[in-house]
Amino acid sequence: MRASVNRPPTPDVGDTQEKQPTLEEIINIKFIESGEKERLMELLRERLIECGWKDEMKALCRAFVKKKGRNNVTVDDLVHLITPKGRASIPDSIKAELLQRIRTFLVSAAL
Amino acid sequence: MSVPNEDKMASHAQLSSHFFGDLLDSIIVDVASECHRIARLGLDRNLEEEEEELKLSAQARERVADPNNSGEANSKYVVDIFGQTHPPIASDIFECMNCHRPIMAGRFAPHLEKCMGKGRKARLKGTRSSTAAQNRHSRGSPVSTYPPYPNSTSTNQLSNGTSGVAGEEYSNGTFPES
Repeated sequence: MRASVNRPPTPDVGDTQEKQPTLEEIINIKFIESGEKERLMELLRERLIECGWKDEMKALCRAFVKKKGRNNVTVDDLVHLITPKGRASIPDSIKAELLQRIRTFLVSAAL
Repeated sequence: MSVPNEDKMASHAQLSSHFFGDLLDSIIVDVASECHRIARLGLDRNLEEEEEELKLSAQARERVADPNNSGEANSKYVVDIFGQTHPPIASDIFECMNCHRPIMAGRFAPHLEKCMGKGRKARLKGTRSSTAAQNRHSRGSPVSTYPPYPNSTSTNQLSNGTSGVAGEEYSNGTFPES
């Protein structure tokens, strides 16, 4: 009998029961539940606005929109436009500050 | 015990970077979404209007440089640097807070004078009962004098002895000449 649909084999019951959440997932949950992720997001947002990073990204977007025509732009376009430049142009001090706080959190979460 | 600690620190560093990347990605998506919204809703007024603005500013420059329009020539309607003209008398209309009538802004000061100030009619507004007496007073004593009776709070019209009645009428402050 030919398989009419390409699909991966159904996982055995044994498999799913033994799967542990990864360390990353555990930390992520703690991160969110404690509210630290929210706080750090707000902190990062504020810092990026202060240093003009957000304005630079918005300028990039506007230039792109002007070139392409405002009704032909998708969110995906803009995300792909901003991501490489955005990640590269983060000021070191801000990155260091956030990394420090995240590390502190990891330590305090007793990992 | 140092080796496990180093491992721990290395994995901490890696995890931190990973989480930082997560936060950054979320913020990037937010910014992109905001810009997309502005673009699609046309909220960014400067987008196509830069060329228009350039044209308008060139026109304005011509107008200013033109020797015919030297400001005084358009006597009644002076053109300001934005190319706007203002009528010599302000023409906005609003409601007077005293008499609740619609008044033109340029005529508001004279209106107020009549409405609550020095005009003869203003004084008559609250004193219908003793109108005749007030008329006599206002004509007879244009100069501010001390009232002979100590119990009157306002002055001019009270020199003839009707101070009791007149004082009460004006003690609420609508009569500014004191």
